Amino acid sequence: MSRPSQLRDISARYRRNKLAMVGLVIVAVLVATAIVGDYLTPYDAYEQNLLNATAPPSAEHWLGTDVLGRDLFSELIYGVRLAMIVAVSTVALSLVLGVALGALAGYRGRATDTVLMRTTDIFLAFPVLVGAIVVVRAAGQGIWPVIAALALFSWPVSARLMRGQVLALREADYVEAARSVGAGSRRIVVRHIMPNAIAPVLVYAFTSIGVVVVGMASLSYLGIGVPPNVPEWGRLISQSVPFLRVPGKTHLWLYPAMAICVTTLGFALVADGLRDSLDPKLRGDG
Amino acid sequence: MTRFVARRIAQAVLVLLVATLAIFLATFALGDPFASTGEKVVPPEIQAIDRAKFGLDKPLPVQYLTYLSNLVHLDFGVDFDQRRQVSSMLAETLPNTIRLALVAIALDVLIGVIAGVIAAVKRYSFTDVLVTVSSTLAIGVPTFVIGLVLVGYVSGVWIFPVVPRSFTVQVPWWREVLLPGFTLAIIDAAFIARLMRGSMLEVLRSDYIRTARSKGLPERVVIGKHAMRNSMIPVVTYVGISLGVLMGGAIITETIFQYNGIGYLLARAIQANNAPVIMAVVVVSVVVFVSLSLLVDIVYAYLDPRIRLD
Repeated sequence: MSRPSQLRDISARYRRNKLAMVGLVIVAVLVATAIVGDYLTPYDAYEQNLLNATAPPSAEHWLGTDVLGRDLFSELIYGVRLAMIVAVSTVALSLVLGVALGALAGYRGRATDTVLMRTTDIFLAFPVLVGAIVVVRAAGQGIWPVIAALALFSWPVSARLMRGQVLALREADYVEAARSVGAGSRRIVVRHIMPNAIAPVLVYAFTSIGVVVVGMASLSYLGIGVPPNVPEWGRLISQSVPFLRVPGKTHLWLYPAMAICVTTLGFALVADGLRDSLDPKLRGDG
Repeated sequence: MTRFVARRIAQAVLVLLVATLAIFLATFALGDPFASTGEKVVPPEIQAIDRAKFGLDKPLPVQYLTYLSNLVHLDFGVDFDQRRQVSSMLAETLPNTIRLALVAIALDVLIGVIAGVIAAVKRYSFTDVLVTVSSTLAIGVPTFVIGLVLVGYVSGVWIFPVVPRSFTVQVPWWREVLLPGFTLAIIDAAFIARLMRGSMLEVLRSDYIRTARSKGLPERVVIGKHAMRNSMIPVVTYVGISLGVLMGGAIITETIFQYNGIGYLLARAIQANNAPVIMAVVVVSVVVFVSLSLLVDIVYAYLDPRIRLD
């Protein structure tokens, strides 16, 4: 997989997939927005103006203003950055933890494997949102507790995937060959097993970005998670619930909801495309 | 087989013990529910009496062991807010959650399987493209957005009860369960349709299907009987997991529809900082989740002897 010709094959397969390319464009735009967001926002996302609350979209406020009179467009741009920071940190954290511990469990086996797998059992016993609620309640509000909570309940899946892959590859002939020429355990795992084992774990990581974005929005919808004054997508939606049936106030929940949908969709499409191009055999639809 | 089952049960019990300890520490060990600040402070003596009444003056290990021994008798303690038995709150809400979970699963299996089968059989047709595209889109939409749209535009219309609910109006359970059930079903149905389509396409390529066709069996029998059975396996696994999650309370959906299940109970308990209720709901959802996956494992081991050897 690390050989350039294979990478070229993978990217060629990926580029043939139109939906996957759409996803890639969405993700690229989101990441770019997260980086240069400050230059795109016409207003300060935190600036309240209660005299002009829930105003409909206009030339002045492109997407209108929210319940507290903040400029909705600026808030959504700010929300992109928030979502990207939380999603990328959570997924990176759970990926590093999951890959390292999963590889360790799979390669070492025996007691290490048992202890690590029983640990994942404990975390997997919690439905993610329920577990995250308990952690965020214990750790207090803020972005970092949210990231920690979501990562804590998503690493076990990566670890399990990684372990399964390593178990299968541990006895493969090419690994046996590497061992017989005297390669050490670390070299075998890092250089020989990891590159072949990582594909499903990476696909899972991309799939779980959408889950994390929705998870964060759900936490703030319930009133825990990020502090109440932060213009986070889920918070914006929960604030607009009283206006749900009020005519002309649709923008309050529609645009934040669309932001969440587009984000999760973008990453889901990329994950699908990656799955199909990394390993054509995995394709669900032949 | 007996050894496998015994070992799996022992593992599940161990997981539950550690999980309850973790939940206990996270919900009870933090913060003092009877601390009082502001202009009118509750006198310290009364705070101490309150604490003693709830056993919060004892050391943490004693509190945890007491909680566990009560738990065995299905005694979840008394809530901090209204001083009601938490077990009676659970008895009131859990049946609603189970009902909602079953309705949602029934709906999503029905929609998902039918859509998946049609998409696979009529591959590359308009229906197939429609199913594939809409299932991809549905997966991107979070549950609470679907829920909110339904609350905003469908609740109160025809047979669907109004949200926010009025507790003076009696609504039969099947009418109450429709919209939240549908909300939960949409995304799951999309997953199932994709799973079903994928595994159906795979099965349709296999030799025994060709044999069935060459014997001259009608297409209806080939698809409905021979192909369906084998392509349902991944769907059954997914439904098992999904049921475990739903039984643990669909927090967001129940909250949006103010549906009186354990998820909504949990959401309210979080807002009121009512630790005994939070603890009880989380414990229940973990127990349900663990027991269902235990069940799935045992059924699997029964169906596939290779798993037992592991």
